[in-house]
Amino acid sequence: MSSAFYKKNTRFYLALLIPAFCLYCLALIGPLFFGTVPSSFYDWNIIKAKRNFTGFENFAELIHDKQFLTSLFFTLKLGVVTVTLNNIIAFAISYFLNENVFAKGFTRSMFFMPNTIGGIMVAFIWCFLFTNVLPKIFSAAGLESMASISWFGSGSMAFITIVAAAVWTGSGFLMVLYLAGLQNISADILEAGEIDGCTGFKKVILLQLPLLMPTITINLFVSIAGAFKSFDIPYAMTGGGPAGVTNTIALNIYKDAFSTYNMGYACAKSVVLFFIVMAITCIQLRFTRKKEVQL
Amino acid sequence: MKAMGKRKRRYWIQGTLVFLAGILFMMPVFLIVMNAFKSNREIMLSFLSFPKTLYLHNFQEAMRLMNFWVSFRNTAVIAVGTVFLSVIVSYMAAYGISHLRGKFSDGFYLFFVLGQLVSIHTVMVYISVMATKFHMNNTFWGLILIHGGFNSAFGVMTYTGFLKSVPRELEEAAAIDGCNAFQIMTRIVLPLVKPTTMTVSVLYFLWSWNEFLLPSIMIGDSGLRPLTVNLNMFKNTSGTEWNYLIAGLTLTLIPIFIIYILAQKYITSGMMSGAVKS
Repeated sequence: MSSAFYKKNTRFYLALLIPAFCLYCLALIGPLFFGTVPSSFYDWNIIKAKRNFTGFENFAELIHDKQFLTSLFFTLKLGVVTVTLNNIIAFAISYFLNENVFAKGFTRSMFFMPNTIGGIMVAFIWCFLFTNVLPKIFSAAGLESMASISWFGSGSMAFITIVAAAVWTGSGFLMVLYLAGLQNISADILEAGEIDGCTGFKKVILLQLPLLMPTITINLFVSIAGAFKSFDIPYAMTGGGPAGVTNTIALNIYKDAFSTYNMGYACAKSVVLFFIVMAITCIQLRFTRKKEVQL
Repeated sequence: MKAMGKRKRRYWIQGTLVFLAGILFMMPVFLIVMNAFKSNREIMLSFLSFPKTLYLHNFQEAMRLMNFWVSFRNTAVIAVGTVFLSVIVSYMAAYGISHLRGKFSDGFYLFFVLGQLVSIHTVMVYISVMATKFHMNNTFWGLILIHGGFNSAFGVMTYTGFLKSVPRELEEAAAIDGCNAFQIMTRIVLPLVKPTTMTVSVLYFLWSWNEFLLPSIMIGDSGLRPLTVNLNMFKNTSGTEWNYLIAGLTLTLIPIFIIYILAQKYITSGMMSGAVKS
């Protein structure tokens, strides 16, 4: 009976997909495959009202575009640093929260809270800290040279501010995932290890980390993809400045499209970004899958 | 006995350390909220002291300068609209996928899940062009539709996962009792997936509350701007008046705090399931 019932209603079930499918086409499929990709082959500027087919010229130009290469390099740098710090901090916190300690739930909530605050607000909070709070802390500690640092004046200092904000909001999320992973490790294995003399730091390196490999895979995937999509924090904190050295790729695209209106060129960059994110995801998944411990 | 003592000591020492680290982590938020109640001079004097009096002038001024109630209303309308549209659309699609048979079902599932690979930054240029073409600029519905498209990948994934655990016998029994397919979907299964609906709604709400990029592209009209966009403009125009700025920031954060405190369980579990399945 059941099979007949489902068969009879196949049309109904298919119809249920239509709204989601339409929205999907409107927001993702259409703009990507019918907008961004074709436009990347055009020399297209909205203000100058020109749209000429130029083939791969945009992409050829990209390779020599200093601004774009700077932003690409900056995104990579930001990605590597934030992904590393995020994962180390998240793992350390989750390790202690997994031990027998008091007020677990409350402490966990404190670490996770920043993750629910949007990028614009996070950037704002850290701007306040770097301009009003940190200088005072340093001068109170007698470190006058540190107190007079202009955090948004030089590229390397601005980089630090962005990393601080990104790590602050990003690590809580990874912490929750690590914590879930740690709790999934069977107590028997750890106990057996402890009897064999595998305790303390050794226990972390030899037992917990290898057994956490699936979680590490997920966390790296989540945080690398996130790093390449970073826009809000650099936009609101430094605006890409000073002199464009803290532009991420997304910010660079945004500026091309909405301040110089080079739509075709911005689309070519978007295509590159799309492929980078996809490639990193694929490589990373393959790389970490192999290392997983099978139990 | 000795081992017990050691364990007890670790319980308190490690616990205290990690608890203090947590306080340090929350410090930025404390500082913002606390200083929002001080005059600019008092902030400059000491950012750490508690406010001497409950100085509410900052909030009044920030509300006036930011056009707070208007942008609050705009954000709320966008967020609520996004939640409704996205939840309905994702539930429908997930229900359809989980009831179709064979290749169709897998294919559609993959289609929606792969959408998570497309980030908004890769299509934002064309979305702005399209929005102008279709007169979606400066409209809430345009923004809500695009939000819905981006959200449905997550919603379909989460709902499909949960729908697998709903026993089919229940639906079949309802069918025998004379329910049609639509009634089964809305009256029998929908109440059963309530936890997922909660999770998904809370996350959609937070995401659209925090969203900045799309509204900054699609909404230029000052009367229609949401909080995030207004906050950013406010920051650029009144750069050094930190007392007003952080008062505005605090006001924007309050709904997030409330939702976090009330629905923390749903937020963490939802985000985790989203990350694990992709």
